[in-house]
Amino acid sequence: MKKILEIALGIVTSVGGFLEIGSIATAAQAGAEFSFQLIWAIVLGGICIIFLVEQAGRFAAVSGRTLPDAIRERFGFNYFAFMFVVLGLVSLMVLAAEIGGVCIALELATGIGFQWWAIPIGFVVWLIIWTGTFGIIEKGVAILGLVTLAFVVGAYILHPPWAQVAAGALPSLPQHDGARYWFIAVSILGASISPYLFFFYSAGAIEDEWKETHVGINRIIAAGGMSFGSVISISVLVLAALLLLPRGMKVEHYKELPVLLTPVFGKTGFWLLVGSLGIACLGAAMEITLQIAYLTAQGFGWNWSENQRPIEEARFSFAYTITILIAMLPALFGLDPLTLTVFSMAATAATLPVSIVPFLFLMNDYSYVRIYRNGWFSNVVVISIIALAFVLAVVTIPLQIFGGS
Amino acid sequence: MELVRDCLDKQVDDRSQRRMGRVDGIILVLEPNRAPRVAYVELGVTTLMNRVSHRLGRVVARWFGRWGISPEPYRIPWGQLKIGLNTVIADVEAEKTPALEWELWLRKKVIGRIPGAKSQIVKQ
Repeated sequence: MKKILEIALGIVTSVGGFLEIGSIATAAQAGAEFSFQLIWAIVLGGICIIFLVEQAGRFAAVSGRTLPDAIRERFGFNYFAFMFVVLGLVSLMVLAAEIGGVCIALELATGIGFQWWAIPIGFVVWLIIWTGTFGIIEKGVAILGLVTLAFVVGAYILHPPWAQVAAGALPSLPQHDGARYWFIAVSILGASISPYLFFFYSAGAIEDEWKETHVGINRIIAAGGMSFGSVISISVLVLAALLLLPRGMKVEHYKELPVLLTPVFGKTGFWLLVGSLGIACLGAAMEITLQIAYLTAQGFGWNWSENQRPIEEARFSFAYTITILIAMLPALFGLDPLTLTVFSMAATAATLPVSIVPFLFLMNDYSYVRIYRNGWFSNVVVISIIALAFVLAVVTIPLQIFGGS
Repeated sequence: MELVRDCLDKQVDDRSQRRMGRVDGIILVLEPNRAPRVAYVELGVTTLMNRVSHRLGRVVARWFGRWGISPEPYRIPWGQLKIGLNTVIADVEAEKTPALEWELWLRKKVIGRIPGAKSQIVKQ
């Protein structure tokens, strides 16, 4: 019973991490512009992230190390420094987008401009991290995030043409706006295969004191959580295809998002949308903030743990405090959160190889993972993901230029 | 032992298992007619920057000097180290070494002054 509860909580937590501003925005844009045709991108991204998260968890449970820890040790400081700068900048952009997402939810709820919410939201994110434990952040926000199931219920109520939805899971060539189609596909993959997800997951496994006995549970949580998250993203896409596309709305502004739920749930739908957007982005903002602080502290060998008092790990606490202060600036100065989201998802896709290539080496290193090394199938999958990551790195910038808007 | 594989970039803990930093550099002593000898390991930003490029190392050292911060890395004699599988254990008390200078400064001047840093509602 305890194990079932642990798995259920783990899956809910993983869903909380998966669904954030990037996955909501890119799925809505895909549905609004290309109907069900881009479902395959969510499915592909979901499969990739299942394997990466499972391996990150297995690595932490068996070796007792986090990914940044092992990357610094195995690849040396120069590679770590390169990854630290690239991943740090991209994560800051994604964090700024998440803070912007919460601000937009509050603008929708109150009518007060989103930039006015930047400082209060930055403070709330900081306060929860400052006072909370890892368990509170991980599970509390994830359970609140179940409100995002409203997207699944909404899509089901609308009775979509299931045959067309299933057909969308298979890749197909665009019938119009090719550059835009591929740009959105790349953005969806960037939103799904977010390095912050597996870096945070590996730190979480250490915080939760996972051991070798968690290898099986980890597999179920990774597969269940990420699949469940993908289903919610697909539901957003389906809703957008059924409700935004016929109205000619292309998600050029977040204010168009309530149309995803209001036709189904009426006035309640508006509040469900505000709640889903606000909670999903708030949860992701806390996880990304911690991930940046973890990356810094683990890479430089500082004391770190969200379960300790801030004074016992001053550099770690200082790292997340500064991170939040920087990340709330774009929203404070009125930079459009949607523009920032789309750009940061593309930046994530363009820089994926930096954080994925180490998996191939670490997951085959006996000194770290011993008998839990990758088998041939997992290695084929990782090599395929790396190949995909390199393709994304090459095509993202040209697609951003030709299909970004 | 292979120094780069088994020691460089490893986590350094003090004798109470408190994290101090990482092995940022290894100092070898070369003496005539004798085999090279490992003398110290170094912990410090300037050592790290020197590994990226000597020019960057000099820039950081100069910048530190301007702010009145010593650019010298902290050196731990090889004899005080025990190389483990996951960590390097230094037979020192971390808080009494320059390795935690920044940590203690931040604790005293910044983090410790923020309400809730010492006695929070939720954290034990």
